Amino acid sequence: MILQTAFNGFVSGIIVTLPALAITLLFGVLKFPNFAVGSMMTLAAYVVFALNVQLGLPLTLATAIGAILFGGVLIFIDALTFRPLRERGSITLMVASLGLGFVLENIARLAYGNTARSFALELARPFRFLDVRMNREQMIAIVAASIALVAMYFLLTRMPIGRAMRAVADNPALALVRGIESPTVIRWTWFIAGVLLAVGGVLIGMDRALEPPMGSNYLIMVFAAAILGGLGSPLGAFVGALIIGIVSELSTLVIAPNYRIGIPLCVIALILIFRPQGLFGQPHIRR
Amino acid sequence: MISFIILMSIIVCFSAIIALALNFQWGLGGMVNFGLTGLYALGAYACAILMTRFGMNTFVGAVGAMVIVAAVSALVALVTLRVSEEDYFAIVTLGVGEMLRLVALNEDWLTNGALGITGVPRPFGDVIPPEYYQYFMLGLSLTLLLGTLALLNVLARSPFGRIMRAVREDDVVAATLGKRVPWAHVRIFVLGGALIGLAGSLHAFYYQYIDPTQFSNVVIAYAFMAVISGGRGAHFGTIMGAAAVMVLLEGSRFAKEIIPGLDSDQLAAIRIIMIGVGLILLLIFRPHGFMREYRLQVSLK
Amino acid sequence: MSDILAVRGLHAGYGAGDILKGIDVVVPRGEVVTIIGPNGSGKSTLIKTLAGLLSVREGEIVLDGARLNGLSAPQRVRAGLSYVPQEYNVFRNLTVYENLKIAHEFMGARSKNGAKVLDDELLALFPELPGKFRTLAGNLSGGQRQMLAFACALTIQPKLLMLDEPSASLSPKYMADIFGTIKKVNSRGVTVFMVEQNAVGALRISDTCVVMANGRVRVTAPAAEVLSKPDLQSLYLGDARAQTGAS
Repeated sequence: MILQTAFNGFVSGIIVTLPALAITLLFGVLKFPNFAVGSMMTLAAYVVFALNVQLGLPLTLATAIGAILFGGVLIFIDALTFRPLRERGSITLMVASLGLGFVLENIARLAYGNTARSFALELARPFRFLDVRMNREQMIAIVAASIALVAMYFLLTRMPIGRAMRAVADNPALALVRGIESPTVIRWTWFIAGVLLAVGGVLIGMDRALEPPMGSNYLIMVFAAAILGGLGSPLGAFVGALIIGIVSELSTLVIAPNYRIGIPLCVIALILIFRPQGLFGQPHIRR
Repeated sequence: MISFIILMSIIVCFSAIIALALNFQWGLGGMVNFGLTGLYALGAYACAILMTRFGMNTFVGAVGAMVIVAAVSALVALVTLRVSEEDYFAIVTLGVGEMLRLVALNEDWLTNGALGITGVPRPFGDVIPPEYYQYFMLGLSLTLLLGTLALLNVLARSPFGRIMRAVREDDVVAATLGKRVPWAHVRIFVLGGALIGLAGSLHAFYYQYIDPTQFSNVVIAYAFMAVISGGRGAHFGTIMGAAAVMVLLEGSRFAKEIIPGLDSDQLAAIRIIMIGVGLILLLIFRPHGFMREYRLQVSLK
Repeated sequence: MSDILAVRGLHAGYGAGDILKGIDVVVPRGEVVTIIGPNGSGKSTLIKTLAGLLSVREGEIVLDGARLNGLSAPQRVRAGLSYVPQEYNVFRNLTVYENLKIAHEFMGARSKNGAKVLDDELLALFPELPGKFRTLAGNLSGGQRQMLAFACALTIQPKLLMLDEPSASLSPKYMADIFGTIKKVNSRGVTVFMVEQNAVGALRISDTCVVMANGRVRVTAPAAEVLSKPDLQSLYLGDARAQTGAS
């Protein structure tokens, strides 16, 4: 039972690594927590739904196309919403992201209504391994998330744009005088975040049902993961998400499942009391 | 028509109290309460439950609600005492609001879940005849609103208020005052919480029926928009902002009559989209609202 | 064009009011020009404006004949302007290697892909660095960080190298090293423009000295002259005692 729960938690956690990574990248480069990421995941998932169910593309292809499309959408949204507010403080940006969250979630609601949807995926029998039941969606989630994470690792450590993103997160003014164009880095960050959120959204939509409040329900868990790992640290987002996922799931063995959300909240509270910079974060330098 | 205006005015009063609370916590304490909706719901539910389940009268219900919301606010403020970053505080309050929303939705034994609580009594409900009650409610709400306004204004102008404003704007002052600042923040947040509890109670009294759907994110959007359009600390302006926002957006409920072909779910979605877009536009085009914020990034343009 | 840098009538500032109130400075090709002056004179503001971190309100900046006014900071770097800030001048959460690689990739180094991040020239100037490639820049000592910042700025062959208080908060050993390194770099053909609080050390390796006060240029004179004249010295070098802080 425990092993099964832990496995479920692991799957849940690995799915959360993607939006947690998106949040931490966005925070590093743009310097504010983006409260719209939940709705972004939802909307991206609906885009993939349209490609998959309405246009009949196989799910993998639909996700790939949808992710790239959505990356572009986020660049566009940033230009409209956040760029005019770039010079303002984080409160303004947070409030804007809150408003944006409403807008995105309700665009999805407007287009698709409130009924839950699901992706077109052939049914497959779950299989057992070491007394743990693993269904197909979970395996897909593990594979997809792992691919995404490996890709992110290479991007951030080996590719110029990944280094540039880390540089801007570390010291924006210095990045400028080392020749890094800030608008370019910002665009790439949004694109990459969009891809991560789209894949994450699809995985969540496969795990639960696809409906408008889907992503927002995950918001606190995603933030808890990012904060636990240390806002701004990609490694932290990964580790934090896994821990939160597993702990949340294990907690259902002792408390009612509906209060799973209490765990991330408690984690945030504990971290803020004892170690605000999280596991891998740096002490916050406001420049 | 008159009824409609009175109805609107009463709702504006609740929203204005919330907006004032938000403005107070943010203006003097630098704490942006993203959990506003949840705390408002907490106030309404607390008041309703105290009255319907524990048989308290309306006065105790309201005061009880204020105390409960203030206590939760205190808890939040204490937990975040060590952390001075606004970002983390915002995230925590968001989480608390979410948590409260889930409790309201799921804890059937306490809140009746999605069905909500009916038959909430109202102050002097059995004394004042129904056809005049709305006037009484308006009067009561206005009185409480003005009382809140007066209280917050007095605080803002007091030495305490001036010091807290200085703390917000000048790190050196904050450093000099050291430990006393976070405790002051707690007190500010608690007072704001009490006001939110009061607004929640009024909500419960007025509608006499509460369910989770009444406490959507729209509440906090209204509050932010009122604060932003009202401008910094200009308390009267905040009220005007609340009124303007409310009228515009509640009035849009009647768009249903005008625009055919959309079902109510879709219309509700459009309303919320408008609210979200409105919020963003206000932020972009109203630079003096929401405090003169600037980043301490001296090295960037 | 014998002047690498020409600044005419420069006005700039942060809030209301200008910090720079009409600066005229000329940096001849191949020279070392040092700006000295009391705290608050606007030295750092000047260099930040030249680097592109602060907008020009009035006036002109011309680098080797090209007008820099409208260009962003990254564009100025690619035009040949290299800048080492006073503090926070390395990416602390990136390794030494990554710091150099970034400079290599983004500052417009005209070298082939796959070239080493430290060419032979730089290797000779900063022999300590390769051994620390895998170290996080934040874990280096102050002096080592300064060296890394230098090396990054020199990844290109800049037309003008700008240094903001290169010796600030360095131990005396590193201080002498820094000025020695600057002189070496200059002797290889790089024009240097620096702001310094430690006037004596800087002037010893400089050709020209510019004295600023209250956002204006007071005196422009050969460095040797300023060093040798005691009265000039006391007037303008009076507060060249160890002071930190922005200017």
